[in-house]
Amino acid sequence: MIAQLKRNKFIGLLFAAIIVLSSILSGCSGTGPGGEKASSNEKTKDGKTVIEFWCSWGDSKKDYFEKWINKFNESQDKIVVKATYIAGDAWDQRITAAQAAGTGPDVMTMNYGKIAYSADQGKIKALDEYIDATKWDDLYDWSNKMVTVNGKHYAYPFNAEPGSILLYRKDFFKEAGLDPENPPKTWDELIEYGKKLSTDKHYGLTAAGTTDDLAWSHWGMQAMMGGLAINDDWSKATVNSEGNKKLFEFWNTLYKEKIFPKQMPGLYTEIEPLVDGRTAMMFNGSFVFDALRNKYADVVDNIGVAPLPTPDGDYKKTTATLGGWTFVVDGNSKHPKEAAQFIDYMLAGDPEVMVDFFNLSKFSSFTGRKSVDAALEDNEFAKNDEWRKMIQEKVLPYAIPEPIYAWDISMSYANALERVYLKGEDIDKSLAQAEKEINDYIKNNNYAGTNPNKK
Amino acid sequence: MNQKYILKRNDRKTAYIMLLPIVLLLTCFVVIPLIYAIFVSFYEWSFYKESIFVGLTNFKRVLKDHLFYKAIWTGVKFALIVVPTQFVLAFLFANLIKSLGGKLSGFIKSAIYIPYVISGVVASIIFIFIYDFDGGIANYIIGLFGLEKTAWLIDVKVVLGAISVPAIWLGFGFTTLIMLSGLNDIPSSYYEAAEIDGANGFQKMWYITIPLLRNIFMYVIVVGITGAIQQFDLPFIMTKGGPLNSTMTPNLFIYNHFINDPYLGYTIASALLLFVLIGALAGIVFKLGNSTKSMDS
Repeated sequence: MIAQLKRNKFIGLLFAAIIVLSSILSGCSGTGPGGEKASSNEKTKDGKTVIEFWCSWGDSKKDYFEKWINKFNESQDKIVVKATYIAGDAWDQRITAAQAAGTGPDVMTMNYGKIAYSADQGKIKALDEYIDATKWDDLYDWSNKMVTVNGKHYAYPFNAEPGSILLYRKDFFKEAGLDPENPPKTWDELIEYGKKLSTDKHYGLTAAGTTDDLAWSHWGMQAMMGGLAINDDWSKATVNSEGNKKLFEFWNTLYKEKIFPKQMPGLYTEIEPLVDGRTAMMFNGSFVFDALRNKYADVVDNIGVAPLPTPDGDYKKTTATLGGWTFVVDGNSKHPKEAAQFIDYMLAGDPEVMVDFFNLSKFSSFTGRKSVDAALEDNEFAKNDEWRKMIQEKVLPYAIPEPIYAWDISMSYANALERVYLKGEDIDKSLAQAEKEINDYIKNNNYAGTNPNKK
Repeated sequence: MNQKYILKRNDRKTAYIMLLPIVLLLTCFVVIPLIYAIFVSFYEWSFYKESIFVGLTNFKRVLKDHLFYKAIWTGVKFALIVVPTQFVLAFLFANLIKSLGGKLSGFIKSAIYIPYVISGVVASIIFIFIYDFDGGIANYIIGLFGLEKTAWLIDVKVVLGAISVPAIWLGFGFTTLIMLSGLNDIPSSYYEAAEIDGANGFQKMWYITIPLLRNIFMYVIVVGITGAIQQFDLPFIMTKGGPLNSTMTPNLFIYNHFINDPYLGYTIASALLLFVLIGALAGIVFKLGNSTKSMDS
């Protein structure tokens, strides 16, 4: 009996010891969640400050970043930037884990959609005190707005790209007796062209076909039709509108007339169905220019681009939202000044750094800086680039930033659309359900008034 | 208790030392994170500001969300398609392999085990090609029978079944081998005795094979159900959870919140609720099968 007790005590102690030991090993302080922890504050042997930079562009543009980071490191003797490249899929896990452990980078890439919340939560630092006012004056109004939260700048724009434009095959237009230089401008024209272009060999038009893709790629079209799915202070669903009703009817017609295939041949961002001739027209983002010009150069001459058609053909309506990338300084960075200096060099300094990027990515995205556009005036390719010209004239000035409200809300919209074209549900009924879902979301999550841009 | 089972003191020490590494690892990577997760689930957790205690708010938000229930139900439906199909196929194949001798059974064993080592990601991509509307082999085959082309990954009625096929294909090799090892464990003398008593093939299966495989069945079902409910890669790559959330398995649902939410509260609370639910489900299966005790003891 006594031996038994002793043994139990021994086991108890052993396990207690293990738990304590592993708590120490896993770095769990046990004082409650959160709290400030230092991010990297190393110095090199020769006294240079080390700035950790995490970049989500590793897979495609690593050489570009390496080149200009090296130039920055050589250009001065106080700071050394060390870059880590993380693939898109692993980014969220890596960054969240690092932030939780207090080992996040000093500078990182961030898309526009995350800026307002990150600023609100103190995840990123305001940059006004570190980056000279003239550098902010160089921004266009639209790009300036996209990095400003409550009057302060929290990021410096890297690039911007409209998420929805029309791409089409000029050769297929000719075969169908359509003018390849005159793409459809109105919805009716799009339907008419689509019917003519739907053949045994290719579909008339492809676009977003998954709930996920519909949820975001339709933002531009919702704005075109008068508004997004929720009002500005996030207190009321605005999804059940006349505009959305017309949009749903239009989308449903594209299916009914068999202009859209029953099942889209790929995800929204894939350009391949257009390249290999499975479709004659496609809704996609300007980001595909990079692949078109670098990877599929042999078909590029056969491809035309235009703004998304609008109900009445007026391109001066919103047809796209702007996504894209910025650089930010982590809220816990010990060296915000040096971190901002690096951002300044890469994004806000000599326009050549950015010109080099746009050149490499074949102008698939756009600058938010006047001086970079001015420098591009001297670039032969950029100057004669019809696609770039079209987007700068007809898309960018009317585009809006990607909305930042909860993903659930965009999904409610997408589900409403799917109910109509997949299950044949009545449009009014489906939009009413989306309205109810969004209003329930607002209520259950105390969502009204939480828009960080409107606080 | 039999004398030989009483361990000597030294043996006990050795046993503890052998257990130490796994207990240490489990504590580090399972027990502590779990306790910590429960702890932070009561907070609006922030890495940069003071976290705010919010009590049960995170759990309430999850429990009020109809999409959470829908995701759980989708996971259950997925399991109800995958597990029984896999189970029957595996049982038939295990019996077939047992009855075959020598090289042929070895070949079949390796052939059906190969899918198990293929990653879910690769399988998803293969099946995206198979389910392609115009170029895919699935529509080609049903076309041979004069049927109309199906939009496998878009039609709400068939999509869950469509993504179950790769899940069954991936998992049934493993299940078959487990069942086969169970079959090989049954002493052949039982069957011989039954034969002398005049039992036919069905009776041998019903009165000997199935009762003696009960523990194996339990294991296969519990592992199958928990695995199927937690399916992630197939819907993530093939459908992103759509259309109309009909392939939104619980893990994909939680992942989407992790990726898209500005705060982590909802994600952690829903993950913990799922953990409780899967634990309860496994408990129910064990209880129904009354298999907490081994059949031998």
